Amino acid sequence: MIRSIIKRDGRHVLYDQSKIASAVLRAMESVREGNAEDAARVANAVEAKLEALFPSKSPDIETIQDTVERQLMDYGYNDTAKAYILYRANRTTTRDANTALMKTINEITQEDAIDSDLKRDNANIDGNTAMGSMLQIGSAGAKAYNEMYLLRPEHAKAFREGDIYIHDFDFYHMTTTCTQIDILSLFHGGFSTGHGYLREPQSIQSYAALAAIAIQSNQNDQHGGQSIPNFDYAMAEGVGKTYHKNFLRILTDVVEDRLDADDLGDTVRKVVMETERTQGELAKLENKPGFDGKLANALSAALDINGHELLHLLERVRSRAWKRTDHETFQAMEGFVHNLNTMHSRAGAQTPFSSINYGTDITPEGRMAMRNVLLALDAGLGHGETCIFPIHIFKVKEGVNYNPDDPNYDLFRLSCKVSAKRLFPNFVFLDSPYNLQYYVPGRPETEVATMGCRTRVIGNVYDPNRQISYSRGNLSFTSINLPRIALESHHDEAAFYKRLDEMLELVAQQLLDRFEIQAQKHVYNFPFLMGQGVWLDSDKLHVADQIREVLRHGTLSIGFIGLAETLTALYGHHHGESAEMEEKGIAIIQHMRDFCDRKSQAMKMNFTLLATPAEGLSGKFIKQDQKRYGKLPGITDREYYTNSFHIPVWFPISAYDKIRLEAPYHALCNAGHISYVELDGDTARNVEAFEQVVRWMHDCNIGYGSINHPVDRDPVCGYVGVIGDVCPRCGRREGHRVPQNRIDELKKLYPDVVAFRGIE
Amino acid sequence: MDEQMKTQTPTATLDNQDEKLGEGVGFERIRRITGYLVGTMDKWNDAKRAEERDRVKHSLAQDA
Repeated sequence: MIRSIIKRDGRHVLYDQSKIASAVLRAMESVREGNAEDAARVANAVEAKLEALFPSKSPDIETIQDTVERQLMDYGYNDTAKAYILYRANRTTTRDANTALMKTINEITQEDAIDSDLKRDNANIDGNTAMGSMLQIGSAGAKAYNEMYLLRPEHAKAFREGDIYIHDFDFYHMTTTCTQIDILSLFHGGFSTGHGYLREPQSIQSYAALAAIAIQSNQNDQHGGQSIPNFDYAMAEGVGKTYHKNFLRILTDVVEDRLDADDLGDTVRKVVMETERTQGELAKLENKPGFDGKLANALSAALDINGHELLHLLERVRSRAWKRTDHETFQAMEGFVHNLNTMHSRAGAQTPFSSINYGTDITPEGRMAMRNVLLALDAGLGHGETCIFPIHIFKVKEGVNYNPDDPNYDLFRLSCKVSAKRLFPNFVFLDSPYNLQYYVPGRPETEVATMGCRTRVIGNVYDPNRQISYSRGNLSFTSINLPRIALESHHDEAAFYKRLDEMLELVAQQLLDRFEIQAQKHVYNFPFLMGQGVWLDSDKLHVADQIREVLRHGTLSIGFIGLAETLTALYGHHHGESAEMEEKGIAIIQHMRDFCDRKSQAMKMNFTLLATPAEGLSGKFIKQDQKRYGKLPGITDREYYTNSFHIPVWFPISAYDKIRLEAPYHALCNAGHISYVELDGDTARNVEAFEQVVRWMHDCNIGYGSINHPVDRDPVCGYVGVIGDVCPRCGRREGHRVPQNRIDELKKLYPDVVAFRGIE
Repeated sequence: MDEQMKTQTPTATLDNQDEKLGEGVGFERIRRITGYLVGTMDKWNDAKRAEERDRVKHSLAQDA
């Protein structure tokens, strides 16, 4: 007769048969197999077995659970047995997780980031700072909780074992990924950041400052990158307001100087307003022909200056107002860029991950804003450093900026020149058919824009009348370990596709589970994103409403990594190596896209396919796969899986071929994609060559692309360019010293040489 | 070159103000990580560092 049992920690506790019965019953109920009587029968059988096994001593808990499993199977309750085993496995994981969590926190606390890969998982968080550590510890705790309480056992298992990767898992129950913030609607009438109310901005300086604040505010409501889709159109409005002010002020000054008076401000304003009324437009950078003539006549009637002279004075006013506005716009753009590189979000742990999209506004005001933001990017930060944020995205469009006679072609050229020095802008191609299908001239919200590392949201199955970029974003994404599926399929294509389908279903379900958690949040959980109407249709909700319906404008994305390794595992080589593999690669990704499209139609939600960015993920799956399969050549023999559909970074190929081979995947990966080519420093600095590469991207129907080249900087002399072993400007080697008088000489030649505090 | 060398602020080296500057100061190497730029490689995780090391340049030779 059993009197007591031994728990895991070694304690003896009284034996209670009803506990076994109720555990069995719970497992039975979860799979709808058997009732309380059946459970009691199994518990009796377990007890009989245990008495035989332990005639004189107490059984331990593990043995009891093993016995329960066996009895369930003996009685034919196979589904219950499976549920029970899964339950046990998860309890074990939970116990391990508690230990692991403490170990993780210990590592965050004790190790320096340089020695801890964990602390460098996301390069945008400084794990050495107080707030960075706090964020990482919070993140570790949230992950442990989410895995134990929020995931279905099968999802937890797939995640734990590296079949799938649930991105931003620490935020699982808190928020969604990202949004394209339409700052024009936000600014009109003013807005609240959640901490204070801001009036509608009235100058380009305020437009730029509030744009940065909008990004910062939203970064605290969501976990992903934040983006402005209409930077050019929005800043144009600010430029217009600043110009108008300058025009009035300078016109008043000029007239007062001419008449030796100092009280003509009101008169001038009244006349200008009246002319604006009759002409139907405000004074702006370029007015209709005849505007200045009418204004000169009206001024002449009010002041003691003849019309001819006034026309001449107006010319001078125009030129001065243009110059001043241009100067102020540059300063505003410079301030904006500096702001986004220095401002903090999330309790100071992170610089907001920001993007700005521009390129298609052809008004003089929009063009002035774009030219100056490009010049500010070109100038760099205080010591000439390359700006890390925001990501600049230049939207390329035929008829707008792509061809030499297009109105913004000069800005496209300038973008190429700046990108050749500073790595930004990247380029989005609106003419690619899968982007062009949404494009409506004159409606910039229909232009594709990107945010974060590559996310793109435009199609809308939930609301086909709202196929737009603005005010929408990704809700969550989960990536599939494609090479693992290939390895498990042992060169059997049919088996591969079968496993892939199972995995796609599993991920879709997991995304829907996560959506269910997100959907139950309320407007008040997102004071900026939802409270200020940043998210599409959230302005129609009350503060206490659930956000379920409006969230459906967002996307649920299935991502993947390592197409190259997948093809090598299945067929022996990858899509850079043969035409046959080009087709096989496209077939796999097309298959995944078809699944997403079917799921979207079935659920009336936006399931999209993502070429996963995979920063933290790049080394995670492969580590787990190396343990299972060892180091297989071309598959698991490196420290990372190749990003998404990319041709492997180590594979020799021309820039043109790489772009041509990767372009078809851009059409398929509707949640986001990017292709890079790596150029050497000298080639990249050849702007003609640089532009040719961008044009080739356009002609191959790439969606989003950029060109990588080395950008090095010597912080001692301020040189920016390619630095090998020796700095070409001051001649020092890395870590070596350079004489002060050499720096003094250089300072005379180059204004960007760093001024050392404490010396001057 | 030592990739792991920490980039110190120049002011950290100014004890001996009169002669030389730059001792222990590394070069900054800005690279694109997955879509965004990172100022120093110190902050990259091990896998992305390996990937960056393996990247080959793409020529602009036109293939047939």
